[in-house]
Amino acid sequence: MNTVIDAHNISKIYNPDTIPVYAVNNVHLHLLKGEFTALVGPSGSGKTTLLNLIGGLDKTDTGNIFINGKDITQLSAGKLIDFRLHNIGFVFQSFNLIPVLTAKENVEFVMLLQRIKRSEREKRIHTLFKQIGLEDKMNSRPSQLSGGQQQRVAVARALASKPQFVLADEPTANLDSKSASNLLDIMALLNKEEDMTFIFSTHDQRVIERARRVITLVDGKVVSDTAAVDTNVLHETIK
Amino acid sequence: MFAGVAVLALYKGMLHSRVRTVIDAEVAHLQIHDTTFKKDFEPVFVLQQADSILKVLHSMPEVKAISARSITQGMLATTTGSMGVQINGVQPQQEYEVSQLKKKIIEGDGFHSGKKNEILIGKKLADKMKLKIGSKLVLTFTDSSAEMVSAAFRVASIYRSDNAPLDERNVYVARENLNELLGIGNGLHEIAVLLNRDEDLDRVQRKLQEEFPAYQVETWRQISPETDLMINTVDVYSYIIMVIIMLALAFGIINTMLMAILERTREIGMMTALGMNRVRLFFLVLLETILLTVSGTPIGLGIAWLATNYFNKNGLDLSGMGKEMMSSFGYSTLIYPEFPSDKIIGVMMIVTGTAIISCLFPAMKALRLQPVEALRR
Repeated sequence: MNTVIDAHNISKIYNPDTIPVYAVNNVHLHLLKGEFTALVGPSGSGKTTLLNLIGGLDKTDTGNIFINGKDITQLSAGKLIDFRLHNIGFVFQSFNLIPVLTAKENVEFVMLLQRIKRSEREKRIHTLFKQIGLEDKMNSRPSQLSGGQQQRVAVARALASKPQFVLADEPTANLDSKSASNLLDIMALLNKEEDMTFIFSTHDQRVIERARRVITLVDGKVVSDTAAVDTNVLHETIK
Repeated sequence: MFAGVAVLALYKGMLHSRVRTVIDAEVAHLQIHDTTFKKDFEPVFVLQQADSILKVLHSMPEVKAISARSITQGMLATTTGSMGVQINGVQPQQEYEVSQLKKKIIEGDGFHSGKKNEILIGKKLADKMKLKIGSKLVLTFTDSSAEMVSAAFRVASIYRSDNAPLDERNVYVARENLNELLGIGNGLHEIAVLLNRDEDLDRVQRKLQEEFPAYQVETWRQISPETDLMINTVDVYSYIIMVIIMLALAFGIINTMLMAILERTREIGMMTALGMNRVRLFFLVLLETILLTVSGTPIGLGIAWLATNYFNKNGLDLSGMGKEMMSSFGYSTLIYPEFPSDKIIGVMMIVTGTAIISCLFPAMKALRLQPVEALRR
């Protein structure tokens, strides 16, 4: 099994000069390809901050994060943007689709940034929309789609760049139970069929139940990790 | 764009109006004098070859109208005070044609044939000296023998032109009356020539100067150098005005683009998070500004063209904004703006340049946005 994310001793401290607040406190994380992982914990436990650090959206104050062996904490801002473009897919809580673009154009946007040829883009768009079950909504604008449909388009956008893994910050928070279930089905299917790594922060019990690994954060620290056992088992198996 | 073109159109219209006033109502296209006459307006310096000059002028097809004048400087006195004036002895019909004196009359109906010592005075002078139609006044000046001469005149009409200082300084009397008092017989001091076409000016001047080298043949540009200066500096003035308008435009664009960025902070944060680099983001803001400018330019240009054409036909009355002030600078209050076709390319380049420069600050703002902070908003 390939290691996708290897984080050592990472911390994020707010107000370091006055009253320091440890949003993420000395966290070690080791994620393998194909994992379907949930980051759970109460509000303010550091789930989103940890996702932002792993995603290169925020800078760590201590520690290193290796993605496919590359230390992203050492990358310049410009190189980090380029790294995100080619390696990380994002799904945001409030979808964050571009309102003036159609669903298809929103998905295509990332591929345009990657300078992928038109024929390849078209092919990938059709595959993705088929996978998310919205082939008939390709030309709809976000305002014409339901919340669940918008989030499915956001998943398609995250996968369009063929990333190493997808980070999803509370992907079901704004969805009703049926839409949330649909979204999870799609994510689980992509994980299973394409071996796509998913890491999502969530409060949602239904999501937690579907996750194959659950990392619990409290006050910025990892207090439990179900994969600690699983990974050992896995390593034992490999041995 | 609209403001820029509208100001240039107004400026062009005002300038054109001023030039037409100078030519058609003040000095005509050309004036011919004895070379020494204008130095101190001595009545003795009459045009010795006046008949020959008039004969040549009458034979020229380019000439539209001629006014032969005798001129002297003198003192106008009434019971309330006195004032220095230029006394123009004219033949009414000639003068009506050359300087449109008849059209300027606002009280009375001009000179009456057979009546002696009638005088036409300007409105400003009439107000200052408290003169009305029928008022009596005394003109005092030196004759050709350097003797003081005084004569009583009665106000036949009051005129008002677009040039208040000129109205205050110039009075018109019948030429035969003035010549008799000056003792110069049929002598003339000035021949004002109005041409059919402005383009013939330099050619006719050269021709007349060659024919009568002993006299001073001057164009309106030489007689009214301030108007000539105004024409030569019009580009500078109009671009100064443009710069002021562009400053306002720059603030408008900065405001619009800052608002666009502020409203789309999350969107920009999301695009950066997904992998849109700073160069692309900068060009996104730049492109939006250019598109905003490109889409606004034809609209502004179209509205400016329509407005200019409308006011070019109907005139733009600025009398409510200070008739006295406009008049004291020699400008008509009724302006006919002209579409500045010759400056459109320049204006478009300035507008586009201003837009590009103005978007730099909002673009820098966008570049400084951190995706995490932007996504939180």
